[in-house]
Amino acid sequence: MIGLKSTLNVIDNSGALLIECVNVLKQKVNNGWGSVGDEIVCVVKNARPMPEGLPNGIKVRRGDVRRAVIVRTKKAVRRPDGRFIRFDDNAAVLLNNKRELLGTRIGGIVSADLRMKGWAKVISLAPKVV
Amino acid sequence: MLLNSLRQCARAMSTATQPYPFSKLAKIPPVLPSTSTMPREPLLKGKGLMQHLTETLATPQKRNWLHTYFARRHPLRIHPGSVLTVGLAHAPTIFSGVLLSVRRRGLDTSFVLRNVINRTGVEMQFYVCSPHLKSIKILQRAATKTSRSGPRIRRVKLYYLRDSPEKMTAISAGVRG
Repeated sequence: MIGLKSTLNVIDNSGALLIECVNVLKQKVNNGWGSVGDEIVCVVKNARPMPEGLPNGIKVRRGDVRRAVIVRTKKAVRRPDGRFIRFDDNAAVLLNNKRELLGTRIGGIVSADLRMKGWAKVISLAPKVV
Repeated sequence: MLLNSLRQCARAMSTATQPYPFSKLAKIPPVLPSTSTMPREPLLKGKGLMQHLTETLATPQKRNWLHTYFARRHPLRIHPGSVLTVGLAHAPTIFSGVLLSVRRRGLDTSFVLRNVINRTGVEMQFYVCSPHLKSIKILQRAATKTSRSGPRIRRVKLYYLRDSPEKMTAISAGVRG
């Protein structure tokens, strides 16, 4: 349940550490709240000084407005068979405007609900999918 | 002709009880004894429907689990604080964790397992009678008044474990060791 002003941890190697949600895209259901697999527009609040591993020198600085996809939420998400899954924090992975990943590696577990929303690229990079 | 006689032999040896009068090739699956009898008259009117469903809707294995593992008073019941491994039909096929709470609602009984994966806490709530839940394995039982093994737990719902990772590691240390 990510909305305006929600903070999320960034778990890829793009350089950002903490982002704040500004808008949840394409959300006509759920009353405008974002969940796992939703794209959000966000502002970078905290960034690492020198990101390594980025291909063409994209530097993500504090104050950048980027897009991201939510990969973990603290609010329980229901699977089709009735199971619920809940993580201890909210986390996201940064994207560019064309729904492509900014970072090259993901460091942390992601929710398997991403596969249902069409983010197979994120799942393939994640070390563990629950 | 030989094939026809073979077919008749196979059909005679099959477990079908009634022959289908309209086709010789139709396959008749064996009818379970409980479904072949008509339900009682009050049940047809709708009286006692929920109790009937509680008794018949879940598979016998799941009903056994509800009676033993998730009952309120049973010597084999699983106490919160035990470490379980759950086998599922879909991904992730195996999930293990500490039992935080059991929500007892008859057929809707569910339980929450908590685990720490890659330094992130994950909690999953499983419904006992779901066909996706294949197996439950108890890795470590929590201590009760009678048994001494395992950690000593004094609560029914262990939501305090979310705020103290050191207690989680204390419980899980017993499993590995």
